[in-house]
Amino acid sequence: MVLSFAVVGLAGPRLKRLEYGGWVAVGFAGAALVVGALIAAGEMLNPGQYTNAQYTWFQLPAAPGVFPHGFELVAGTLVDPISALMLLVVTVVGFVVMLYSIDYMHHDRGLARYYAELSLFLAAMTGLVIANNLFEFFVFWELVGVCSYFLIGFYYEKPSASSAAKEAFLVTRVGDVMFLLGIFLYFYNYAVLGPANGWAANGFVFVNGNQPFLAGVMGGNSTLLTVAGIMILGGAAGKSAQFPLHVWLPDAMEGPTTVSALIHAATMVAAGVYLLAVTSLFLGFTATDQLLIVAVGGFTTFFAATMAVVHPDIKRVIAYSTISQLGYMVLAIGAGFAMVGLFHLFTHAFFKALLFLAAGSVIHAVGTQDLFKMGGLRKPMRLTAAAFAIGGLALSGIPPFAGFWSKDDILAAVYSQLGSHPAYWPFFLLAFAAVFLTAYYIFRAWFLAFSGDGPRDPTLAPAHEGSWVMQVPLIVLSALAVGSGLLIFWPNFQTLLLSGAGAAGIPPVYGPTDLLLSGASVALGVAGIGLAWTLWGNGKVYALSETSVAQPIRRLLLNRYYFKVGYDWIGARGVYSVARAADFVDQFVIDGTVHGFERMFAALSERLRRIQSGFVSDYAAYVVAGLIAVFVLLLLVAPYLVSMAGGG
Amino acid sequence: MDLSSFAGPFLPEILLLAGTLLVFLFDVLGVRTTERVGAVAVGATALALLFVVADLGFAPLTFLRTIPAGQLDAAASGTPLYAFTSLGLVFQAIFLLATLLVSLASLSRPSRDRGAPIFFGLLQLAALGMLLVALASDLIFLLLAIEVTSIATYLLVAYTRHDSRSLEAAMKMYIIGALSTTLSFFGASLLYGAYQTTSLLAIARDGGAAGFPVLVLLGYGFLIVGLAFKATLVPFHAWAVDAYDGAPTDVTAFLAGGSKKVGLFAFFLIFLAPILFVRAAAPGGSPFTSGAVALGPVLQITLSVLAVGTMTLGNVLALLQKEMKRMLAYSSISQAGYMLIGIAVGTAPALAGATLQIFAHVFMKTGAFLLVAGVTAWGVGPLIDDWKGLGTRRPFVGVAFALMLLSLAGVPLTVGFVSKFVLFSAAVQAQGYFVWLAVAGLLNSALSVFYYARVLRVMYFEEPAARATPTGAVAGGSEPPVLPAGGLGYGRATAILLAVVLIVAVGVYPQPVLGAIQAAATHFVNLGA
Repeated sequence: MVLSFAVVGLAGPRLKRLEYGGWVAVGFAGAALVVGALIAAGEMLNPGQYTNAQYTWFQLPAAPGVFPHGFELVAGTLVDPISALMLLVVTVVGFVVMLYSIDYMHHDRGLARYYAELSLFLAAMTGLVIANNLFEFFVFWELVGVCSYFLIGFYYEKPSASSAAKEAFLVTRVGDVMFLLGIFLYFYNYAVLGPANGWAANGFVFVNGNQPFLAGVMGGNSTLLTVAGIMILGGAAGKSAQFPLHVWLPDAMEGPTTVSALIHAATMVAAGVYLLAVTSLFLGFTATDQLLIVAVGGFTTFFAATMAVVHPDIKRVIAYSTISQLGYMVLAIGAGFAMVGLFHLFTHAFFKALLFLAAGSVIHAVGTQDLFKMGGLRKPMRLTAAAFAIGGLALSGIPPFAGFWSKDDILAAVYSQLGSHPAYWPFFLLAFAAVFLTAYYIFRAWFLAFSGDGPRDPTLAPAHEGSWVMQVPLIVLSALAVGSGLLIFWPNFQTLLLSGAGAAGIPPVYGPTDLLLSGASVALGVAGIGLAWTLWGNGKVYALSETSVAQPIRRLLLNRYYFKVGYDWIGARGVYSVARAADFVDQFVIDGTVHGFERMFAALSERLRRIQSGFVSDYAAYVVAGLIAVFVLLLLVAPYLVSMAGGG
Repeated sequence: MDLSSFAGPFLPEILLLAGTLLVFLFDVLGVRTTERVGAVAVGATALALLFVVADLGFAPLTFLRTIPAGQLDAAASGTPLYAFTSLGLVFQAIFLLATLLVSLASLSRPSRDRGAPIFFGLLQLAALGMLLVALASDLIFLLLAIEVTSIATYLLVAYTRHDSRSLEAAMKMYIIGALSTTLSFFGASLLYGAYQTTSLLAIARDGGAAGFPVLVLLGYGFLIVGLAFKATLVPFHAWAVDAYDGAPTDVTAFLAGGSKKVGLFAFFLIFLAPILFVRAAAPGGSPFTSGAVALGPVLQITLSVLAVGTMTLGNVLALLQKEMKRMLAYSSISQAGYMLIGIAVGTAPALAGATLQIFAHVFMKTGAFLLVAGVTAWGVGPLIDDWKGLGTRRPFVGVAFALMLLSLAGVPLTVGFVSKFVLFSAAVQAQGYFVWLAVAGLLNSALSVFYYARVLRVMYFEEPAARATPTGAVAGGSEPPVLPAGGLGYGRATAILLAVVLIVAVGVYPQPVLGAIQAAATHFVNLGA
């Protein structure tokens, strides 16, 4: 399947006359969906299976003192509960988005490039999901990053798009470097320092048998493991846009909305969460790491939600919401409930993709992303309005929509840990408060776009629904936004989640058992929706934003707490001056040297031009000079060095 | 049927000799078209390759074995001129692959090329010399075998007789080559004076007992310089750039991918013995008064300096090149530096890494030069900038060239990554200052990415100076040359496809090849100890 995608990626550009390769890509995505669904179904009907297939990529023999046990790098695929879940998400959303693109992207140029890149992305993403070891994971991780870079910058004629692409690439690169360092540290700890065992020799394979290597069980240097865990967290934070590496995701909305839905809502940004989950399940985090992860997740949840509250751009509101929701997943993983986090990842992928595609439908119809120009779209776009509302309800955690079950699981899971980890309290409260903000901002967006009598900006084009290829995805995802959460009542699905958690003492999944907690979070959600209705319902535009008291806060939020300004400042003052220095060196020193050499050679060749053998005698002179140099080395320098080393 | 009963272990060599003679016979008989003489060369080379691979123990082919099982990797007594080692066979396979790629691609040369019989005949003669180098276990035998290759390659560079650039290149190569040969033989004679034998096996066995008078150091010094010419090490590389640039590009492909490796394998044969037996020898067996200085470490330091100098200078100069062929030539020089690391470190894993690097280089560099030759034949100019937009105009050629460059840069999932990884990790394993060799290698790899990436950028992201219209109509004088409708030709396309497939296949699943090379390297090291 991965291979078939690679074929599309390569062949896509050459299918220009065949519907721009779009339908071909849809076909392959459909095939992948079938395969993915079959694998996931197999796993769900018979939960808890670990199907590992691998071959030795290459191996290095053991060397005393360096690799005590040798090292074998393998490449392979692993189908287990978590990869089956992710595979389903990736293939379903991938197929749906691919289909939706046919109409949405119809008027754009460079479609072959678009479909090729999207296919390559899907290939890399499926590869990442079923990779069976950290090294392979990293290769695909980089590949999805590159695809994301290309797709954000798809409208490369737009300066904002290409700078957003660069920003995303650079910021996630910080995370990537940390991730790589994390791998090296784990490698060093287990393969070099580790006790004699077979583990290091098979290179970080994620199989069930590795669970004895959970931190604390296997020992090793705990400081080293903590640092390694922090590095992994950094990598995940970069990819999943967690605080403080969150800045790139809102700007990534410069890409086509389909790309935002697939990559920056459902799949790639979830890869960071997936990495955390995999690490937590197969390597384990130390207690310090866990607290740090909880802190990052909990804080991001609230922090990102506040920025969504005032934003006028429909896509960026959803982008902040994505950051916030990813924060919930990180929070759950930090608290030790990786599978609960993944459950939220699973449901979130569907309802967030739904929100994006619904937003895309709106943007496609009216040609703007500014909420304050829209209004009254409910009438011409009934399906879209309904779809957006379903997505919004799911996001707000209103039962029986999907978000309720998974988000409530997370809150309940973290709540259960508060007794033993009091330090989790503030982050739990932040996450809890974010429920209210979430419901508020998403329905603010809904009311602004869909309620009222008509567009606030009369110059907007009259709205209309998209064709069937845009409607089908909305319907499918709406169904999933309702249904995917209800899966929790299916015993097999519960077993699946439980078996993913493994045998290493990770507590079971929580259903909506804690009624008080559930009730409180639903009440907060309803309150948020209510506030949004009061302020923005029926086409009203609430005037608070204009009052003097709220203005500074609004400005702070719109400027994203000045984080980007700060990074730009660091970038401008720090990196840019280094770059300037490098440029100076390049311009004057290197270029100068080059030009100097050029002139020198020009002068030399001018003099030697008439004597053909002049060059050869030059070369012969080099040989003689080299001969002398070799003898100096052999007879003087090297013996001296050797005697120093030997005698000292 | 045991083929060894009537053809003996020299079957591959006999095949190539027969091929050479047949081609020259065809020439006399008046059969001179490229296709016909080329087919003979391709056939002979492919058959020879088949037998070499069979001798390596490749399972489905073992019935073709020509070397009796006990004779391979046997530590022969006495002072034989040749020995069958599995590492030697690996190198024979590498040499034959390079020859095969070049002859396949050359099938696509113009049919009425008057030099065709000379070209294919000399190519096989050079390959024959290379096979003999891989068998050598005697210093004089080795140097004579190198001479066979060298003389054939001088002629190959000049075979187009009327191209003054080629003639000039051949002249330079010949003069510097003659100087180097003189130095090599002088070094060999000094060694004979010291050891009273020219058998490399005997030197490896008993050389440690003879002590290391300064005579020995002088001998090895002259040999280093002489062989460095062949292996294009800095500062003995200057001829190579002119020769690679001036020679017909198919010949360049052979020089870079094939004949240059002869020098490196000679380094393996000659220098591994002192490095290894010194490690085993008791301290005190030293010519120097302190008693602490041994020959092996001295040679290792010298080779390390040469390695670092070669890769660094090669890379820096490659950065500055504007012409495609010269850039690839300097890149080829820097790659020789990486390979030398393996010899300087001198352990079995390092040897395996260097061998894999040499193996990889055949596909990457020979393939790249063959591709350049094909593209030049379309009328694309010699400058890198002349390649603007080629990636999008000729997607398959673009992807193939991109893969070769990525592999040269050492990007994962290509063979170039695996070979560098194995080589550098072996240097790290050896510890001591060898770790710094790995660091230097890594820094150089990073540096090299710049000039490979530049080519990719030019190929994919820069438009040709003036856009060619889809119909190919030429509107004005500033239009880039319109690419002819035809492709590369079947032979050349097959060769390039083969190279690309091997780059990716060995990159994705290196273990079979790597395992064989590792085993061969271990045998080889044990042979000397």
